[in-house]
Amino acid sequence: MATAMQQSGSMQPYRGGNRYVARSSSSGLYDVLELILDKGLVIDVFVRVSLIGIEILTIDARIVIASVDTYLRFAEAVNRLDLMATETSGLPEMMEGISEGGASSKTKGVLHGAKEALFGEGDEEEGDGDSGSSKRRRRSSSSSTRRRRRTSSGSSGGGSSGSGSRSKSSS
Amino acid sequence: MAQSNGDAAKYVYGVVRARRSSRRRQGGINDEPIKVVAQSGLGALTSDVPSGHLDAGRDELLTHAGVLERALKHGTVLPMRFGVVMRNEASVRDDLLNAHREELEAQLGQMDGKIEVNLKGIYDEEKILREVIGESTEVAALRDEIQRKPEDATYFERIRLGEFVTEALDRKRSEDERAIVDRLLAHAVAVEVGEPIHERMAVNASFLVERERQGAFDGALDELAAEQGGRIQFKYTGPLPPHSFVELSVEA
Repeated sequence: MATAMQQSGSMQPYRGGNRYVARSSSSGLYDVLELILDKGLVIDVFVRVSLIGIEILTIDARIVIASVDTYLRFAEAVNRLDLMATETSGLPEMMEGISEGGASSKTKGVLHGAKEALFGEGDEEEGDGDSGSSKRRRRSSSSSTRRRRRTSSGSSGGGSSGSGSRSKSSS
Repeated sequence: MAQSNGDAAKYVYGVVRARRSSRRRQGGINDEPIKVVAQSGLGALTSDVPSGHLDAGRDELLTHAGVLERALKHGTVLPMRFGVVMRNEASVRDDLLNAHREELEAQLGQMDGKIEVNLKGIYDEEKILREVIGESTEVAALRDEIQRKPEDATYFERIRLGEFVTEALDRKRSEDERAIVDRLLAHAVAVEVGEPIHERMAVNASFLVERERQGAFDGALDELAAEQGGRIQFKYTGPLPPHSFVELSVEA
């Protein structure tokens, strides 16, 4: 992948060596899109910026979850599974190589599909807060209430996600 | 060379510590030079953009990310969200740097020596589906029933099967997400757990990690990923500026 080539000089990229972990820098747009569009400091803006031709993936992809299409796709995938292998499920070590290769390409396919499904939807952000921009704002604000932030102060097992407010992180 | 002028609208990438205003060679959006607008110790990374309207696409997003990533190499940077354009240089000084001085200085202090790592984990489809079938007699039975009948007679059964799978995945997701976050949080300062953005996504979280502990964090992830044995494929993005851990009290 191109992203693997572009590690930046003095930075410390992921240093592990594990075939189940793929690394990318921010040059992989997909991986940082939701952060760039939805996170970071904001302030009253003077000029409206229109996003054009961007695959709006971010949280909007959530809409592909739990639809009838998803159900049918999962059902199809379940039905495709080889029954013999299913019966020995739990120890299909031999399958690993095969499923691994297949999985990564499949993953890419589905992600890409999600992208395309969303392409062109809500891209226009100009005008007076028309559907596009208000939709994104609504989604992102609802998502931020669902987001949980925790700090690692002391207890490692503590799920102190109680307060909905975004507590400041500090060590 | 493009002239930077104080009256031009300024696209703002992020906030750093800066003693004086300066130009940096590297290009910003539309290849305009990056200019640091400094005000009493704070600096905004900016570049000129045309007033009124800016069309932004893939290139602009990548430029935004790239400018911040390079800035992170030189020191602490508070990233702006994509798309912030201010009226002119005076507005950057007054409405951003001066108006939010306390918050910005405090957050620069908090973010010193720290980076964001974004981690996404996706279930391997085959492995996870086998797991679901193996654990639920209902799913297994439904599957057998569907396979005995012609496809066009099983539409609703298939939807039900898919629904079962989705629910099972949701349960697995919440368990796995908690376990993964807990393990890695031991090596991080904070975490921001996001919603899954893919139907097979097990975890989507950003960690604030001390640079010095990044090795330990990566090691813990390695160990965890190896234990999963490919059941979850991880995608690691970082080091990034701390997008998920900064905010201003007044939002646009």
